[in-house]
Amino acid sequence: MLWTDIVAIAPVIAAVGVASAILLVDLAAPGRARLALAVALGGLALVALLVLATGTGRAAAFDGAYRVDGLTTFLHLLFLAIAALTIVVAPDYLEPRDLPVAEFAAVLVFAISGAMLIAGSTDLLVLFLALELMVLPGYLLAGFAKRDALATEGAIKYFLLGSFSSAIFLFGLAFTWGLTGTTRMAGVAEALATLVAGGGIAPGLAMGLAFMTTGVAFKIAAVPFHYWTPDAYQGSPTPVTGYLSVGPKVGAFAIVLRLFVEALGPLRADWLGVIAVLAVLTMSLGNLVALTQTNVKRMLAYSSIAHTGYILVGLAAYGAGRVEGLEGVLYYSAAYTFMNLGAFAVVAALQRRPGVTSALETFAGLGRREPWLGVLMTLFLISLTGIPPTAGFFAKAYVILAAVQAGGAIAWLAVIAVLNAAAAAFYYLRVVVYMYMREPAAEIVPLRHGRLLWTGLAVAGALTVVLGLLPGPILDSVREAARALL
Amino acid sequence: MTISDLPILSAVTFLPLAGALLIAVLPRSALGAIRGVALGTAVLTWILSLFVLVGYLPGRPGFQYGEAVDWIPLFGIQYKLGVDGLSVALVVLTTTLTAISILASFGPIQERVKEYMISFLVLEVGMVGVFLALDLFLFYVFWELVLVPMYLIIGIWGGTNRIYATIKFVLYTLVGSLLMLVAILATGWTYQATTGSWVGAFDLVTLRDFAAGGGFAPGFQMAAFLAFFLAFAIKVPMFPFHTWLPDAHVEAPTAGSVILAGILLKLGGYGFIRFALPLFPDAAQALAPAIIGLSLVAILYGAVVALVQPDFKKLVAYSSVSHMGFVTLGIFVFNEQALQGAILQMINHGLITGALFLLVGVLYERTHDRTIAKLGGVSNRLPLYAAVLGFFVFASGGLPGLSGFVGEFLVLVGTFQVAPLVAAAAALVMILGAGYLLYLFQRVAFGELSDFLRGLGHHLVDMKPVETLTLVPLATLVVVFGLFPGLLLTLVAGSVEATLASIGAGGGSGLALWR
Repeated sequence: MLWTDIVAIAPVIAAVGVASAILLVDLAAPGRARLALAVALGGLALVALLVLATGTGRAAAFDGAYRVDGLTTFLHLLFLAIAALTIVVAPDYLEPRDLPVAEFAAVLVFAISGAMLIAGSTDLLVLFLALELMVLPGYLLAGFAKRDALATEGAIKYFLLGSFSSAIFLFGLAFTWGLTGTTRMAGVAEALATLVAGGGIAPGLAMGLAFMTTGVAFKIAAVPFHYWTPDAYQGSPTPVTGYLSVGPKVGAFAIVLRLFVEALGPLRADWLGVIAVLAVLTMSLGNLVALTQTNVKRMLAYSSIAHTGYILVGLAAYGAGRVEGLEGVLYYSAAYTFMNLGAFAVVAALQRRPGVTSALETFAGLGRREPWLGVLMTLFLISLTGIPPTAGFFAKAYVILAAVQAGGAIAWLAVIAVLNAAAAAFYYLRVVVYMYMREPAAEIVPLRHGRLLWTGLAVAGALTVVLGLLPGPILDSVREAARALL
Repeated sequence: MTISDLPILSAVTFLPLAGALLIAVLPRSALGAIRGVALGTAVLTWILSLFVLVGYLPGRPGFQYGEAVDWIPLFGIQYKLGVDGLSVALVVLTTTLTAISILASFGPIQERVKEYMISFLVLEVGMVGVFLALDLFLFYVFWELVLVPMYLIIGIWGGTNRIYATIKFVLYTLVGSLLMLVAILATGWTYQATTGSWVGAFDLVTLRDFAAGGGFAPGFQMAAFLAFFLAFAIKVPMFPFHTWLPDAHVEAPTAGSVILAGILLKLGGYGFIRFALPLFPDAAQALAPAIIGLSLVAILYGAVVALVQPDFKKLVAYSSVSHMGFVTLGIFVFNEQALQGAILQMINHGLITGALFLLVGVLYERTHDRTIAKLGGVSNRLPLYAAVLGFFVFASGGLPGLSGFVGEFLVLVGTFQVAPLVAAAAALVMILGAGYLLYLFQRVAFGELSDFLRGLGHHLVDMKPVETLTLVPLATLVVVFGLFPGLLLTLVAGSVEATLASIGAGGGSGLALWR
């Protein structure tokens, strides 16, 4: 192991260090949640600086098992933002329920370090280990409210289906390894290119591809592999749901980028059709079922499935030969992160009063009762719908542009995507209807929220607007990240 | 530095946003200040827009007051504004109607005044932006920006069925506009794929030249035109995409209806003239007969349904479907008179129908009922109201000398040259139009005062000064444009010529007719 290897992986090590530090602080000074939060946020900021310092250029490490490039840097910063935002908005929900804030933060940062490791993995085994490092703390978080039966049920479902899909995924990796003789992605790609050039792929490889696709489809919650999502999302404590809806999802898309684009790139023609079909199913079914939901958390769970579908449109466009598709995937992931986390943060803020459900009725009169929460929620929902001038709009425009550029059958994906977006407006705007156009059954006293929550909401809101109005700067890093894969 | 060097178009567009932000920081209870700021902003915007109008040089071809800044250079997307005669007329119409609507809302809107005024000013940003944007992407952003405030205005301050109406409005509009987004992106991409550069890929002027040079293949033109068509046809609304309109109009608060009829419907007509025709001329030519057919159906259908409406507001709503049918008819006949007529009809319909909705609102304020059968004989107790109503009813029915006549007449003259039978059918409907409007006026204004109105006692007072004030400017313009349509025709002559040239249709002598 060389010094350069250590430097390359330093951000991940630092993230693990931050998680450990939070645990230590909690041990040394139990109950001092603020201190633990300060350590967490300060630590994450340091890790971000480290990413910026080490993440310039392109450097392979550990004999090609790990690589720092534009994609790694982009995703690292995104993951760190996810962690920081989640930690900032969580106490408002956790504290009234006597759930330990410090442990939450520590587990979350462990999960994020796994996601960060995924971002730079260029080896099948490292990729799998990183995946497990990301999802195992996730199971823990899902069951964080251990006395809540619903949470436990959701966590068990999440754990069982998650382990199952990990196993399937690993099986697929094993096939690939067996048939290409290497676990390094560059080597896999090379071997596959030779195989494809030699006329078709072996049945074993096709099975491997099928297993890997299935495993990843579980992780990104693509239809028909989405069944765990609604229960896990609805049962989990709301800040955890917010995290689960973005962190592991973007993490899983990082796997898709590293594995499907980089290692399995030569098989593009073989997975393109599958991805296109998955995209259509995921968009349409996610939206269709979301239409019928009366619980906002569950609705957002289905909506997050639909958004997986939109992102897959970008991937399909790449499969059909447009690099803009990859850029769309990355831009969409960033936009989706902030608007979705923001929406969940508002739900969590509402639930500061223990016992408050996330049923639609809870939102009745919110616009009048707590105007800022109402305005921010409206902003996030407008963005999720894809109406300008928001991040969600530009993200949709990006994947649509890529699909249009790809042309042919993929262009029809663009049409299906926008028709879905129009239908989705119905359920997103229904929340706005409740917030502004319905009165609550009984008068409720407005809540007081912590300064941290407002900070988190303000950041998410500002980014939702800025990414829509001035996408220029982030476009550059998105381009660089996408080009890193080619 | 002269005034034309200042970014006056951006000022007109975003001044209302500044007003909205100012209102946002005012305390909720400071009703006077909130209303004052809202009206002040709207009036200032109106004055600014008049500066644009006065400084506009009708003789000069192309767009004036141009502003352009790179926005998303990666895809050649620009923040680019500019006006020609058509847009300057519609911008002034927008600022005028917005100021009037805000003034007209002082009385009826007593709940959540702050949010209301913010919504209204943001709405103005979107509407003005649509008329000024010269970049397709920017145009789309403004186009969608209109949606959310109108959704809130109908949904929060509307009538009993408001939520159904507002969601229907949004879903209809979104389906059309999102497909248009796909078409816009595909258009830019086609340009990039052909020229190899994103520069100017979404710039209207560049794309128009590109289209004129045959840059868009027939198949692409057809697909893209249909997507644009759907967005605009829903907005106009053309038969059979009109079903959201009666619901939205009936449930919207008075000022919402005024803006909906006065401006939002015009966005569709404007979109056809500005984008759909110049960019996809061959597809427009190919589909014109079908669209003319649909327009005729709309003219007829709107009039017939209006005839049997028991609800005052719904009657006016359906009359809009009919009147807007003349707009699409005039646009797709492709000659000078008809297009001039279509543009005049857009402006006049904005003035007249806006006024009619205000009048519906005035009566509703007093009666809380819009059933025509219950409202008989208002001239006995509200003579001024009855007189003003009569004036606008005649204007709407196309009485010569008032502005409603000019637009429809020009459309008919233009249509007659191309399709005499269509013109004849449309002319017959004008008679039907006079029928439902006179029938309405007779029932509401004349006869014995109805028992229902008598029961209201002293609540039933004639128009208040503020209400009169909102209607006087509209009435003045209706007379002025009725007597001197040349004012408008001169203003839009350049736009008409450019549009016709872009689709390769010849000129005519419509302008001379009125000079």
